[in-house]
Amino acid sequence: MENNMDNRAVKIDVTGLRKSFGHLEVLKGMDVQIREGEVVCLIGPSGSGKSTFLRCLNHLEKVTAGKVVVDGYDLTDRKININKVRENIGMVFQHFNLFPNLNVIENIMLAPVELKKMTKDEARKRGMELLKTVGLEEKAEVYPNNLSGGQKQRVAIARALAMNPDIMLFDEPTSALDPEMVGEVLEVMQNLAKEGMTMVVVTHEMGFAREVASRVIFMDEGVIVEEGTPQEVLLNPKQPRTIDFLNKVL
Amino acid sequence: MSFLELIRENGVYLVVAMGKTLELTFLSLVFASVIGLFFGLLNVSKAKILHTIANIYIDCIRGVPLIVLAFFVYFGIPMATGVRLSALTAGIISLSLNAGAYMAEIFRAGIQSIDKGQMEAARSLGLPYSTAMRRVVLPQAIKTMIPSIINQFIITLKDTSILSVIGFPELVKAGQIVIARNFETFKMWAIIAVMYLIVITTLSKIARALERRVSYGK
Repeated sequence: MENNMDNRAVKIDVTGLRKSFGHLEVLKGMDVQIREGEVVCLIGPSGSGKSTFLRCLNHLEKVTAGKVVVDGYDLTDRKININKVRENIGMVFQHFNLFPNLNVIENIMLAPVELKKMTKDEARKRGMELLKTVGLEEKAEVYPNNLSGGQKQRVAIARALAMNPDIMLFDEPTSALDPEMVGEVLEVMQNLAKEGMTMVVVTHEMGFAREVASRVIFMDEGVIVEEGTPQEVLLNPKQPRTIDFLNKVL
Repeated sequence: MSFLELIRENGVYLVVAMGKTLELTFLSLVFASVIGLFFGLLNVSKAKILHTIANIYIDCIRGVPLIVLAFFVYFGIPMATGVRLSALTAGIISLSLNAGAYMAEIFRAGIQSIDKGQMEAARSLGLPYSTAMRRVVLPQAIKTMIPSIINQFIITLKDTSILSVIGFPELVKAGQIVIARNFETFKMWAIIAVMYLIVITTLSKIARALERRVSYGK
């Protein structure tokens, strides 16, 4: 399995990534390579820099030092067109961030139509297909405020997929959900993983990490403490900090 | 003369003047919205220089009384440039500049009241800043701004009275003209006050109904 992976194209190549907010250094030198089709789960205590790392991958956070190369585009290069790069990277947020002024299908159609990737009709058709895959076709004309948390997050995933991205970033996608809604969102993500989507997932769902991840990265205080297959990291952790963390959450 | 007689005699004239007052208010507020949107957007921009430009404008306008601005535009500018402005034009310019500064603050506050995640989500889809602002942030911001805009509309409507000093025939000027003829100072100002009261109360009622109607998902 690992050997097969090594032949695949590198989608995300991070070297020496550092990120500071003022005097506070959140990421203290991270090196990560993510290949096509990998599902990488980032775990670690809150404040460890997981979300910040994820947000550096689509330049929602400006990198302080180091290099972030996504799909061959160096995000630290000021001359690149970041919007073009982002079209290829979908992102799902903890708090969904659906646009409350637009209904569900309009949320999904907005980017493809505005960026002239599709006509309105094509975008609507594609949007309805995506809603079908997340099981929410009947909600197309509903406004986000009238959806449950789980439904909102599934729409958010559909919206991110509308641009047909190669990479999907998930920032604690189930942390703001009521427990009974976590499953429906994880299921959508699991299906996505099966289809071969390259995914980077910040999560506290150890079950999901164990079942779906091809690799688990444990972070603490802005560095990678341990990484490997779910079996290695979650079941046989070697670092004391990993063991300590897993004891607390499992 | 009784109130009824005064109204019968001057009613049409006063209503026409009220019409001019509303015309001036409405036009000024349209221009003020454009000015306010422009400087409000500068103000929320990350570029410090744009931010500074917006603040200079806002501070200058807020630091000068409207009556001084009106005198400056109506009397000062023609002196300096030789271009004569009508009282209406000068009035609209003064009121727009004035209300524009307050509208800029309303836009800034409105935009800043929208959760940062909205802009981030839009940008993460590959939308440029301007598109994200236009399609996602502003529509939501404007909704939250409606009460403040109503408030500004009422303030601007009342501020039109200041333009009586440059001879624009709005309601206060019209009242002065009538009083100069019939000396019914007490009753005439009472009538005019009630006219303002009726129009402003009605407008704020309409606006509040509008505000309720635009809530999402209803």
